[in-house]
Amino acid sequence: MRAFVAAVIGLAAALALVFAITAFGVPEGETSPKPLLTTAPPAPGK
Amino acid sequence: MRRRASLVLLALAVFCAALAPLLRWYAYPRLAKIPPNQYQEMVLEAKDATLLDYTGGMQPKKVDKVTIVQTLKGNVEASKEIEASAGKDVVVWDTLSYIIGPDGKMVSQIPERYIFDAHTQDPVHATGEMVDGDAVKREGIEFKWPFFTEPRDYLYFDAQTRTSSPIHYVGPRRFKGMDVYYFEQTVPWTKVSMPKKMPIEGIDPATIEAATGTTLWYTAKVRFWVDPVTGAPVNAEQDIQQEMRGGIASGGPDGKLTAFAGHVTMREDYSDYTVDLVRANRTKVLALHTYAPAGLATGGLVLLGLALWLEARGRRVRHEQLPQDEVSA
Repeated sequence: MRAFVAAVIGLAAALALVFAITAFGVPEGETSPKPLLTTAPPAPGK
Repeated sequence: MRRRASLVLLALAVFCAALAPLLRWYAYPRLAKIPPNQYQEMVLEAKDATLLDYTGGMQPKKVDKVTIVQTLKGNVEASKEIEASAGKDVVVWDTLSYIIGPDGKMVSQIPERYIFDAHTQDPVHATGEMVDGDAVKREGIEFKWPFFTEPRDYLYFDAQTRTSSPIHYVGPRRFKGMDVYYFEQTVPWTKVSMPKKMPIEGIDPATIEAATGTTLWYTAKVRFWVDPVTGAPVNAEQDIQQEMRGGIASGGPDGKLTAFAGHVTMREDYSDYTVDLVRANRTKVLALHTYAPAGLATGGLVLLGLALWLEARGRRVRHEQLPQDEVSA
């Protein structure tokens, strides 16, 4: 019986963690304020 | 004490064993997606190219270099609007391909709006989808392949012709230490729309065909080296030829003038930067898709084994202690 309870606790924790992660999801962020470029940057990201 | 430890180990084992498939088949399909706020720039160059001298007699001439600056900007507000009606995660990329001549002046520029499913990269059709201001309805992919790209042909959208045609899988390749898939597409000579912005003095590019009878033709051989995990190209090369035919090009040989001819490649620093970026993203995708589930499954088995071993040992000790207790009683 104790082993069964331990297994259920483990399973519930896994389900809770995965549902929480997926419900929270990946943050969308905001549109970058950087412009569409009309000159070649000297280096990537500069 | 041993019994309690084996129960804790059992709970952890079940936690890991359950988490492994949940991550792989529940979390991964929901979390692996293109972020809607991505901003990326790319510089491509065509060295020793042929370019029509728009301001100096409209004749093709050899130039040291033509530069193409390509910016890609995720429009979060537009993606939220489309998501509300589409009912799925959508990415809206506003892009600009800005072509610069050897004198640093603009040769042409082509803005695009590309709307696609954040998970599958399938195109999503919504108001605003366009190339150079012309409404289009894309089929297939553009810029990027889906996650876990398959070694097969894909339908690839060509912005110049505004049409999609197969891009053929040629085979596996190794590029800067990465195992990638190599794809090729040949676009045959096709009459294309004049870019809305071109430096032709005294002529509005939007009406040049109607006004002068000049048409623009284009052919290209496109090559992509694609990381199969992320679907991101780590290298791209294009052999592009553009010709003006008839009208203002009537004076040229066979009534045509080369507007552009060149072999376009990524600038070396951007190539290195792209490889590093893709390599980092590849690790993140594999962590969620493969490494974490496999590690958790293995960990679950090890913990289960430990739990069983502890439990068996505890029972044996209890069993060995039992006759002694009975004797002493």
